Amino acid sequence: MAKPTPSQTVGPFFARELLWSDGGTVLFPGRGDRVTLTGRVFDGAGAPIFDALFETWQADAAGKFPSGGDGARPYGYGRVSTDTDGRYAIETVMPGSFRGPGGETYAPQISVTIFARGLLKALQTRVFLAPLDAIKDDPLARAIGDPDRLRTLIATRDPGDPKMYRWDVRLRGAGEAVFIEY
Amino acid sequence: MVETLAADVHPPYLYPDYKSTRLRAPAQPLVRVAPNPLEAGGPAFPRHFVKDSEADLTTWGKSAPLGEKMVLVGRVLDEDSRPVRRSLIEVWQANASGKYPHPVDDHDAPLDLNFLGKGQLLTDAEGRYRIVTVKPGAYPWQNHAFGWRPAHIHLSLFGNAYAQRLITQMFFPGDPLLAIDPIFNSVPEAGRKLLIADLDLEHGVEGVALGYRFDIVLRGPRATPLGV
Repeated sequence: MAKPTPSQTVGPFFARELLWSDGGTVLFPGRGDRVTLTGRVFDGAGAPIFDALFETWQADAAGKFPSGGDGARPYGYGRVSTDTDGRYAIETVMPGSFRGPGGETYAPQISVTIFARGLLKALQTRVFLAPLDAIKDDPLARAIGDPDRLRTLIATRDPGDPKMYRWDVRLRGAGEAVFIEY
Repeated sequence: MVETLAADVHPPYLYPDYKSTRLRAPAQPLVRVAPNPLEAGGPAFPRHFVKDSEADLTTWGKSAPLGEKMVLVGRVLDEDSRPVRRSLIEVWQANASGKYPHPVDDHDAPLDLNFLGKGQLLTDAEGRYRIVTVKPGAYPWQNHAFGWRPAHIHLSLFGNAYAQRLITQMFFPGDPLLAIDPIFNSVPEAGRKLLIADLDLEHGVEGVALGYRFDIVLRGPRATPLGV
């Protein structure tokens, strides 16, 4: 087996090179309830991370996986940077649940990859757009077990604006989000 | 799940000599899971997402950029040495003076109005790619006293599956700055040579551009049940 090429940091200089025009609006060919996933990314001292590249990949409203694109960019993929407050926002469709090859059910979720200066490897995880009691059979929720750790991956629906899901991400220390490796 | 060789070659998250890792590296161990079926596939970039001209970084301006012109060729393969076809590669880099056209780059070096330092392309049916550019300059950074980053080209790869996503940096053979670069040296020794391009004169352009080769290996399919 060939050895994989080692990862290196994205560094501080990527905004003009990697960002897409309107990359925070995720495209799908079909309809679905449009929702916004938004929040802030923090470091281990609680300071906002203002130079992260935040990417998302998700199923459509029916739980089907995107293929193709609209001519401008691929369906199902979001790409933004955090701002000076560490804030990101992804406007997309509410993802449906889907099944794995063994019949396991994946709760409504968005796969997230974070790159930044100081991250020698990407951080990958999945954020759930469903409450704790609705995700307990999800394979990742079962792998994590501890509800306090699992809560770090649950986006909270805004009671005043049900189209808004809020998810803050702490990379290190108290409230540190669960990150995954394949 | 079959163990990967990734631990042999990938850097750790926390590498204190690279100061920015100290507050950004997770402290908890990662949770190992199989890619879900969504992550075993990936975004499909429409054909005209990429223009042919975007693989040549030297034709963006009104005239040629300053610096040593070079051609970078290589193949993108998976861990079973199978080509990763029609996948997006994005490249970006400093200009020949070691300056990025970026507002937060405070290096006191000139911008080159004929060089934007960004490009992209799709690999061909054999996983091959070719870009034309100029050799980037080294530049100082604030990580430690007298710190200078060795010349490098950033590469961002989507592979054929979300779980293959990779961002890395390519370095140049024989660069004395490699020895003092904590970002490069964060990679375990067995992996460092995998980040250094080889001189490949025949893929250059006679009398015009120096050739380099840099092959890239993405995870899967054996390391993870990707089936890509």
